[in-house]
Amino acid sequence: MDINLDHIAKLAKLRLTDSEKETLGRQLPSIVDYIAKLQEVDTSGIDPKAYLTDATNVFRSDVPSTAQAERDAAVAAFPKSAGDALEVPGIFN
Amino acid sequence: MSELLTVKAIRDAVAEGTVTAEEIVKNSLARIDAEDAEIGAFLEVFHTRALEKAREIDAMKVRGDVLPRLAGVPVAIKDNMLLMGEKASAGSKILQDYTSAYSATVVARLEEAGAIIVGRTNMDEFAMGSSTETSAFQKTRNPWDTSRVPGGSSGGSCAAVAAGFVAAALGSDTGGSIRQPAALCGIVGLKPTYGRVSRYGIVALASSLDQVGPFAHTVEDAMLVMEVIEGRDEHDATSVELDSKPVAELLEPSMKGLRVGVPKEYFIDGMDPEVRARVEEAIEVFRANGAEIIDISLPLSPYALPTYYIIQPAEASSNLARFDGMRYGTRAPGALEDSYLTARSEGFGLEVKRRIMLGSFILSAGYYDAFYKKSLAVRNALRKEFDEAFKQVDVIISPTTPGTAWKLGEKFDDPIAMYLADVFTTPANIAGLPGISIPCGFANDLPVGLQLQAKPFDEMTMYKAAAAYQTLTDWHTKVPQA
Repeated sequence: MDINLDHIAKLAKLRLTDSEKETLGRQLPSIVDYIAKLQEVDTSGIDPKAYLTDATNVFRSDVPSTAQAERDAAVAAFPKSAGDALEVPGIFN
Repeated sequence: MSELLTVKAIRDAVAEGTVTAEEIVKNSLARIDAEDAEIGAFLEVFHTRALEKAREIDAMKVRGDVLPRLAGVPVAIKDNMLLMGEKASAGSKILQDYTSAYSATVVARLEEAGAIIVGRTNMDEFAMGSSTETSAFQKTRNPWDTSRVPGGSSGGSCAAVAAGFVAAALGSDTGGSIRQPAALCGIVGLKPTYGRVSRYGIVALASSLDQVGPFAHTVEDAMLVMEVIEGRDEHDATSVELDSKPVAELLEPSMKGLRVGVPKEYFIDGMDPEVRARVEEAIEVFRANGAEIIDISLPLSPYALPTYYIIQPAEASSNLARFDGMRYGTRAPGALEDSYLTARSEGFGLEVKRRIMLGSFILSAGYYDAFYKKSLAVRNALRKEFDEAFKQVDVIISPTTPGTAWKLGEKFDDPIAMYLADVFTTPANIAGLPGISIPCGFANDLPVGLQLQAKPFDEMTMYKAAAAYQTLTDWHTKVPQA
C-alpha cells in the first residue's frame, strides 16, 4: 500500500524528522497491510456502528456549574492568560 | 502474602481500630521509597497529601464517625487520571507540566470513600503501548523479573499492586491495558462493561473503547473498588444508571452449573505451550467443580485486533488533536500553524506519532470507507457473534495473553509483534463486554493470566466464577520475592 507520508503528516499536524519518515515509511505500510485483513470479512447486511450501547441522546439545561476554584485552576493551567481570560495567538494577520 | 495487603483486610483493620490509616499509609510510602527505584511504578508519590488524608481518616475514627467504605486503603492512579491540584501527564512530554484543574469522577469517588491516593503511576504515552515502554519518562519493570516488562499500558499501576506497594490501583483499558499487564504480573485486572464506569477526567485514548477499572489481588478487592467507582455520572454521557450493583459482602462464589465456553480461536498456533497448559489446567478446575465446559467457536475473533487497530488510531488521532500547545503544556513560539507543528512534533513520542499518522490515514479521503466504515461493520458483527455465544454459555474462558512477560526492548521496534500481545483482550473492548484476568499459575517462573468474559453488564456472573476459582486455588496469594 502506497502512503503519502507528507500529505498524512500535514493532515495530522506533525512535522516529521528524516529518521521518523524513514521509520514510519517502513512500518506504516506493513500495519496497513495487517489491518486490510478486514476486507476478508463479509459484512453485507450489517450496519457499521460506532457505538454498541443502547444510549440515546439526552438533554440537560444549559446552566453554568463550574466552581470558581475549578475555573481559576483551569485558567492557571492554560499556557498563557491575561487576567481572567485565556490568551491565544491571532488567527488573522 | 501478608494479610494487610488486601483492600478488605486494610479496610476492616482500620474500621476496627487495630491499625491507624496513618500507619498503613506510612508503610505503603516506606515500601515505595525503598523499593520503587528498582520497579519504576510511580511517576510521582503524593507523600504529604497522602499522610494528611490518612490523618483525616484517623480523626474521623477518634470522633466515632462511621468510616466510609475504603477508609485508609492506599491506592495508586494511572497518570492519565486527574487529581485536582496534582500533575497528570498521561506519560507524555506534551503534558509534563499540566496540573489538573479538577478531579476525575473515579478519583473523586475513591477519595470520598476514604481511599488514600498515594501517587500517580507510569504508563505508555497516552496509553498507546503494551509494555509501558513508550512512556516519555521512565521504564517500569515486572516485579517477578526486573529484566522484563510489566505489560501495558497501565504497567505502573499494575506493578505497584504486584510489588505490594498498594492494595489496589486504577488503570484504563482500551484494548487490554488492564487485563494484559495483570496477567503478566500475576494479579487481578478488571475491565468493566463499556458504560459502567465514568471516564470524566481521564485523558481519552479512544472514546468508544476506553473503560476504567481496578487492579487488585482478589476478585473481592476488585469488587470493593468497583462498588465505589461505578455508576452513572452526569459528566460522562456514556455512563449508565445501574439497576443494581454487585456487593462484595453478598457475593457467593460458585461455579456449579456454570456454562463455560471455550472458544477454539483463543488457543492459537504460536502461543506459549506452557501458557496453554496452565489455562487448560484451570479449565479442569472448573470442570471438576461442577461447571459445564462447552466448546464454542467465535470465527470473527482473529479480526478483532485488526478492527482495533483501525478504530483506536482513528479515534486517537481525533482525540489528540486537542494537544496543540494552545490549551495545555507549553506554548511553542511562532505563527499559529508553526506553533501547532512545533508543540506536537516536540511533545509526542514516536508511538503516538505512528498512531496519529495511521489514524489520519484511515480517516482520510479515499480510505475512510475501506478501513474505518468497514471496521465499524465488523465491530457490529463481532458483537452479534458474542450475543449468539452468550445464549449458549454464561462466561467465556481463555488465556488473557498468548505468552508471558517479555524482556524490555524485545518487541520495541516491531509494532505488530507488540500489538499481538493484546490479541485476546481487544475483542471485549470492540464488543463492549466485561472481562477479568485472574492469575492461574506460572510458566517458566512467570505469571499466567486466565481471562473470563461475560455478557454486557453481567459482571456478577463473572465475579462469582472468578471468585470461586480463587477459593479453590492459591495462585493469587503468590508474591514476587523482594
